[in-house]
Formats: sequence, C-alpha cells, structure tokens
Amino acid sequence: MLGYYDPNKSALSKDLGTPARLSENHVSLEIDGVEISVPEGTSVMRAAALADINIPKLCASDNLEAYGSCRLCAVQVEGKRGYPASCTTPVEAGMQVTTQNTKLARLRRNVMELYISDHPLDCLTCAANGDCELQDMAGAVGLREVRYGYSGENHLDAEKDESNPYFSFDPSKCIVCSRCVRACEEVQGTFALTIDGRGFDSKVSPSQMEDFMDSECVSCGACVQACPTATLMEKSVIEQGVPDHSVITTCAYCGVGCSFKAEMKGSEVVRMVPYKGGDANHGHSCVKGRFAFGYATHQDRLTTPMIRDSIEEAWREVSWEEAIGFAAERLKTTQAKYGRESIGGITSSRCTNEETYLVQKLIRTAFRNNNTDTCARVCHSPTGYGLKTTLGESAGTQTFDSVMKSDAIIVIGANPTDAHPVFASQMRRRMRQGASLIVADPRHIDLLDTPHRSDAQHLPLRPGTNVALVNALAHVVVNEGLEDHDFIAKRCDTEAYRAWRDFISEERHSPEAVENVTGVSAEAVRRAARTYASVPNGAIYYGLGVTEHSQGSTMVMGIANLAMATGNIGREGVGVNPLRGQNNVQGSCDMGSFPHELPGYQHVGDAEARGRFEEIWGVPIDDEPGLRIPNMFDAAIEGTFKAMYVQGEDIAQSDPNTQHVEAALTSLDCLIVQDIFLNETAKYAHVLLPGSSFLEKNGTFTNAERRINRVRKVMPPRAGKEDWEITVDLARALGYPMDYQHPSEIMDEIARLAPTFTGVSYDKLEELGSLQWPCNEAHPQGTPTMHEFDFPIGLGRFAITEYVATEERTNRRFPLLLTTGRILSQYNVGAQTRRTDNQSWHDEDVLDIHPSDAEMRGIGDGDWLGITSRSGQTVLRARLSERMQPGVVYTTFHHPGSGANVITTNSSDWATNCPEYKVTAVQVEKVSQPSAWQKRYDDFDRAQREYLASAREPVAHGVRQ
Amino acid sequence: MSHDQSETLIHMVNQIAHNLQSASDPATGVKNHLEKFWARSMKERIIACLDAPDCALTPVARQAVEQLAQQRRQAS
Repeated sequence: MLGYYDPNKSALSKDLGTPARLSENHVSLEIDGVEISVPEGTSVMRAAALADINIPKLCASDNLEAYGSCRLCAVQVEGKRGYPASCTTPVEAGMQVTTQNTKLARLRRNVMELYISDHPLDCLTCAANGDCELQDMAGAVGLREVRYGYSGENHLDAEKDESNPYFSFDPSKCIVCSRCVRACEEVQGTFALTIDGRGFDSKVSPSQMEDFMDSECVSCGACVQACPTATLMEKSVIEQGVPDHSVITTCAYCGVGCSFKAEMKGSEVVRMVPYKGGDANHGHSCVKGRFAFGYATHQDRLTTPMIRDSIEEAWREVSWEEAIGFAAERLKTTQAKYGRESIGGITSSRCTNEETYLVQKLIRTAFRNNNTDTCARVCHSPTGYGLKTTLGESAGTQTFDSVMKSDAIIVIGANPTDAHPVFASQMRRRMRQGASLIVADPRHIDLLDTPHRSDAQHLPLRPGTNVALVNALAHVVVNEGLEDHDFIAKRCDTEAYRAWRDFISEERHSPEAVENVTGVSAEAVRRAARTYASVPNGAIYYGLGVTEHSQGSTMVMGIANLAMATGNIGREGVGVNPLRGQNNVQGSCDMGSFPHELPGYQHVGDAEARGRFEEIWGVPIDDEPGLRIPNMFDAAIEGTFKAMYVQGEDIAQSDPNTQHVEAALTSLDCLIVQDIFLNETAKYAHVLLPGSSFLEKNGTFTNAERRINRVRKVMPPRAGKEDWEITVDLARALGYPMDYQHPSEIMDEIARLAPTFTGVSYDKLEELGSLQWPCNEAHPQGTPTMHEFDFPIGLGRFAITEYVATEERTNRRFPLLLTTGRILSQYNVGAQTRRTDNQSWHDEDVLDIHPSDAEMRGIGDGDWLGITSRSGQTVLRARLSERMQPGVVYTTFHHPGSGANVITTNSSDWATNCPEYKVTAVQVEKVSQPSAWQKRYDDFDRAQREYLASAREPVAHGVRQ
Repeated sequence: MSHDQSETLIHMVNQIAHNLQSASDPATGVKNHLEKFWARSMKERIIACLDAPDCALTPVARQAVEQLAQQRRQAS
C-alpha cells in the first residue's frame, strides 16, 4: 500500500542533500545537540537538513546518490577520527555530530579557496547571479581571500558549447562536481555525460568529447537543473535574467503529466523547471516539457476570432460576439435544414477536463444529440472497450511508481523513451536494479539499449499479429502450469475463465503453431511467458502499437487475460498499463467525450444515469449513441452530417486516409475550429475561435495513471478567453445558458455526476497535490492501485480473443508493411513543437527502411522515396536503419506536408473504429518529385495562409474588440 | 441512400461478427454491440440493408441485424 504522506513534501522547496531512505527502522542521533530520529540509511547531511541544520555542500543534491567529492560538507563525529563527509556518512544510533566549529570552518574555507582560485569572478554579470550554489557557499563558509591568486594554471579560457538550442555549456565555470554526469545516469538513465581526463584535466564530456548536440544527450535538462553554477544554464535565463516568482502547473505534452514550476518574470515564462513534488515525475522532465514552451508566445498564435462564408475566401477578423453569433446561427440553420443529428463536435484531449466536459455537455444539451467524440477514438478507444469488458474500468491499474516494484516488465507496442520519456527513465532505473525487460515490437526500440540493464528479450513480431502473440504467451502460461489458480478462483468469473481456458489451450495457439504468423521463434515466446509468469511481480505496459490495429480491442483483452491468468493485478509492481498519448486522453475519456458514454463511463442508454444528468442539465438527453469520428466523416461525405465544432484537435493531419478526411471536411456547411494556431483542420473552417494554451488557463489534466493534476494560469489568455469560456459563450448563443465563474465550479458539477469523481474538488487538489480517481466515499483520498480487492464488475472476466488477420495484407504490388509512430523531440501533429527549437532535432519526417529492402530497390540513405498504399501516395526521404526488420518500414507524422496519413487506410478496430495506423501495405520506390497530393497540399496551404495573412493586415474600419 | 455508406456499414458488421465468431452466441453478441455503440442513423441504415438484394452481410451478421430490427420494432 502506498502512503499518502510523503516525507519529502514538508521540505519541498529545500534540497536536503541526499535522497530519502524508506526504512521503517528509525535511528536516533544528536546533531549539534539537537536530537533527531530518521529512517535507517539516511545520511548525516539529510538528517541535519531535516533538523534545519544546513551543512554547506556543492556536489550533493537530494535527487542524486551521495558522491562525496567536494569535501565541503565535512563534519566531526564524536569518537571518530578525521572529518567525514556528511553526505556519504549514514546515521548511526547514538551518534553525536558537530557540524560547525573553528576547525571545520577553516577546512571548508580552504576547500572553497581552491575552487575559487580556478573560477571566473564575474559574478555580477554571470547568468547564475542570485541563483548560484557556489556563490552561496562562498558566502556561507566566509571566504574572504584567495591566497593562491588567479594567475596560476586555470580553465578560464575554456571554450563554450552553444550547440544545444536551449542551454549553454560554459566549462570555464565548471567545478567538476559531477552532478550533471550523475543526473544523466541516475535521473535520466542516458549516460551521455562523463568526466574525461584526470586531476586538473578533468572535464565534463558529452559522449566522447563531442558537442552536446552531436552527443547522445536527449536534452532532458536534468544536468542543467543539477548544475550548481552557471556552467550548464538555460539560454532563456542568460537572456532574461533570474525569474522572480513561480507557479506550479502541469505539462501539456504527453500522458505522463509532469508537474512543473513555471518560473516567471511578470507574465513571461523564463523557464520551466520540473517540480520535485510532482507525483508523476518527481522532479524529472524531457526536452518537450522542459524547454519547448515557446510556442505559447509564437507569432503564429491566433489572437482574434475570424469568420468566412466559404473556405475559398479570406478570413475576416471580427469581435468575439460576432464570431460566436455567426457560429450559432450556422449551427441552428444546419439543424433546421438537415435535422437534429446533422451536427456534432470533437472534444480536445489537450484541453482540460473541465473544458472537455463542457464541450460534450454543449453537444448533448444545446446540439440535443450525442454526436461527440474525441481524439482517443484514434488512439486509445480500444483500451476503453477492452479494459471495461475484462476488468470493469476503462483505465490503467497502477501508479507510475509501481514499476519500482516490478520484477519483469513487458512493453508491447510502445516506445517510452520517445513518447513517455520521463516514465521511461523510471523504467530504466528499475531495470538497472535488476528487473527483466520483454519488448514485443516490430522495431528495435531504445529501451532495449538501456545501459546497465539486466536481462532483456525482444520479440520482433510482424505488424498486425499482436493477438496471435498474446494468445501464444497465454497458451504457455496455461500449458506449462504457470497460472495463479488462487487469484483466478477468488477474483475471476469461473464460467468465462473455463471457456477461455478451453479456447487458449488449443494447440493452434501454441508458440510453435503461430511461429509462421508472428515471425517470433517459439522458444523466445516460451521464454518470455515463463519470465513474466514466474516472477513475483510482472507488469505490462502498452501503447498505440496495441490499440491502433484492426484487433486493437481484442489485443487489450488479451493483455488483461494474461495479467489475470498470472494474478498480476491488484497490487503494486503489476498491472495493465496503457501509456496514454496526449496529456489529457484519459481525462477526455473520463469526461464523457465518447458518443455512447456520459461522464464517468455511464452509457447513454442507462435510464437511471441519464436521469441524473437530465435533472442537473435541465434538458432531455438522447438515449442512443451518436456518431464516432470516422462515422461523422462518412456521413459528411454522404451529405447527412453538415456542421462540426472541433476543439483543439487537428483531425486533418492526425486522422488516417487524409484524402478521405479532406473530402469530409470540404463537405461541411460549417466547421468551427477552436485552436491556438491555424492548424490543418482550421484551413477547412468557417469560424476560427482562438483558444488558450495551458499556461493561460485554470483547470485539471488527468494522466495515464488516472492522476488528476492542477493546471494553473500563469499568464492572461492571448485572445482574451480561456477555452471553457468560449464554449460557455457558444452554449449561451445557442439558447442553453451555462453559468460558471471558474473551472472549479465545473469540477464540482462533474463530482456530482461521475461516481468515480464524487470526492474530487479543487480544495482537495490544493491540499493533496494530486488525486488518482476513483476518488469517492470508498476512496476519499483517491486510488493509487486499482482492483485490490475486487473489480468494478465484481469478478474479472476472461474474454475469448480469436486472432483474425487484418485485411490490410501485403502482396506483389504492396510488398512492405508501413507502421507509424513518434519521436522524442516532436509531439503529435507538431503544431506546438514545430514552433520551437525542437525543430533542431527533427525538421522533417523520414522513412526508415531496412538496408536489405533498400538495397533490393537501389535506395541509398537520403534518397527521395515515393511511398504508395491502397489509399494514396506521398514522398519522403529514406533513412537506412537496422532498427527495422526486413519487410517493415516506419515513419512519423509530425509534419503536415509529409502526408504520412495520406497512405494510412480506413481499416479500423472492429469494436471501436480506432484506425489501423500500424499496418499499411505499401510499395516504396525512388522518385524525383513530390507526390500529387503533396503538390495539392502545398497550393492549398499557401492559399490558406494568405487568407489568414490578409485578415491580419491593418484594418482601417474593421470591427475589433 | 448512398451505396458506399451502406457498404461501409455492412463491412463493419461483418468484421464485428468475424471477431466474435468464438463467442457463445455470436449473433446476440453482435446485436448487443450494435445496440450499445452504433448511432441511431447507422442502426436504421443497416436494418434497411436487410432488404437490399445484393446485401453482403455474412450469416451471423445478418442474424444479428435481424435481431436488432426485431428488438427496435418491439420497442417502438
């Protein structure tokens, strides 16, 4: 059981020098005459800091293991010889420690004197002025002179490395404390930094004396945060100066949901520093959350509402009132002409819970239908279906911290080091402690290359054969007697289990029988199944490589079956864990974005649940599900679906079969797009409502571990309104007034309606920092681990998971399989990260192809390739990569002009219509010019940008608010 | 009625039926799935497909849609 009380919390603003120890045995000692009791294993330094006795230090930091190199923290211990470093000295019962006397003071001054003799004395003009531990310590030890002078041999002329766009490395200021090196190892787990040379020649070296940009550095910022001087420093601080206040908020990138301190001057963010008290990230970050926030103030931000009659026309800047009035009028006219069900909307998985809740509420009340969906449709809808069917709740079962108790970790169809980097660092930490890793993925992912990891197994399966593989794993568990019979008997439905057991025991599911289907050797499958089933704690983590298939839902159920069969559910260290893509995918699902479910996963056909909503919302609610996103597109092309309100999602870029999406969007009479940029979808819009970034609003996000985190406004919205306020205005204009003064009131309403949220309030979030739902009477402080005693459906239900091969098959015309994914520096459609210096890492999407496939086609690295599928063609540059298996190619979809989704098809998950992004049969050949689609795209894009630019030219008599 | 749209829906039901082939009562499973997840307009359209001469529903899918049609007649 996790404790809710974190001993760190009381001293979050202070660095206690060495990490907390969690021993239940406490040891009492005396420091400077003060009696204190601390957990066994705690350092003297930390014990002293807890008693508010602050021993000078330079190389120690409480997110790193003690190192004992600077010698500044020397103390004296009664009965012991010499001056031990307090950071590396563990407490002992009855110890009597002296932290300050004349001898210690002289010793520290002498140490400091040596440091300063080889350090520039430009404190007044130094970027770290006011935020420098070396400066602080020089003051603390009372350094008054440097007897050695400054003219001796030194490093003051060492050359700066400015190669990283976000931070500078100035070795002249380095004191070789190794904090950066240790942060790269212990916190991030990349091992990109080392100390090169010995003695006086010691210097920090990225990889092997390379520039930071050319090294293995992933720019997570851990070293910059660890540096006690100005050696590693954010360029934003060099330019703007030290921040003067900070606000704790939640990152708006991936589903990890890291807490950050937005460090500010006025209403400008100077830097984002990962917050030590963040329950998801514990003070760590990645290159996106840490550095890529400049998009919020980018010149491309939309700041004025705009309207137009047709997408062939220039935009007109108008007042909020006029834009909202125009939108409402069009929606009403459309409904009058084509019927109540002819309009709908899409909630945003990037916006807050409160904003998402309001959009679906607007659709169900003011639109009077259930045509609401969200981008989870195209990523994790199979998770919702699969987990609800088997475990009874549409959510991951664990906390991120749970992985620290896992003994075997299975990662299926996920690439955490790129897509969930902060959690990947935690996984790597656990792997360095000895946990086994099993990766099921067509590609060789970076996690397999974790330095100092223990056992790792790779099951390089063929795209589209997940279910065959998971069935084979389960077959081994059953046939080799590795089931947890006690768990199954106590926690699972017997009839469903028996039916499943009969099914899975059939020889056709054995690893040997499916070897030719999956391409994975039977022996490797058996070994993996044994590893997972025989350790005390086995955990499964999965991503879109599981869900985005024609059998996405089946695979999710297969994973749940495997976890139940081995009893790996209901405690720390185990579980079924979907790694969510966007920051609030979990939240948008929780908030009732799906057409068949009201907030809290309550079906619209459930009269009792619907009644409660009708009572509070004051209108009748349709009892039939509405259209899902792909159904909306089909209906639009057919002419029965005519208007759409899209909040913060770029369906034109992110959804599959781009030409089909474009045809659907151009068929609409009215498309209302609410976004912070003119994204691809907005180019097809008639109304543009400028939204607000996460820095400009209050609300909450819910991350992949069901953790509700506060988002706090640090600057005013650029266009004057937080997104929820725009939805409120639109509702009012449609004749359904909503009355909220603050997002906390929206959360209060959610708490009244969603049974898993009844205990959630902004007050409680302030008090506890974050909350994991279910949070209600049964779990007033939230639920870190789900299904500890029973399932929401009582007993767990094994599901029959028949493998059905995808219809998307290779043949002579399309002999290769394309799979798509993400990389670390860019996020999703790239609307945010492309407007930051993250472009330095990835400014175009390329096609990864195995050298043998390339050779067969005469393709060299960097050649232009035409990639053709049954849906369309696009052109990308080639990158030869042995990460791929022969026969499989890979690309990312971060740049709109790449047209990755021009080639993906309409094939989708049987249960949820989640698109099959991960399997597209293609042919690849060398070409000399862009594809026909790309040429059309370029023309359309240019025209639409001009329509926007002309609206922005100074208006002589226009109506501006 | 758009032929394409009907074709898409038929393809979807067939796919659901194919995936539920090993369930204890596949037709009812498919019917329940349609009931729970499909929009009204999609249900009405797939029911209308039953009468089309070239309707390509597989046997289990057809049975499920027939059950759905019957259930909706009774409810109304």
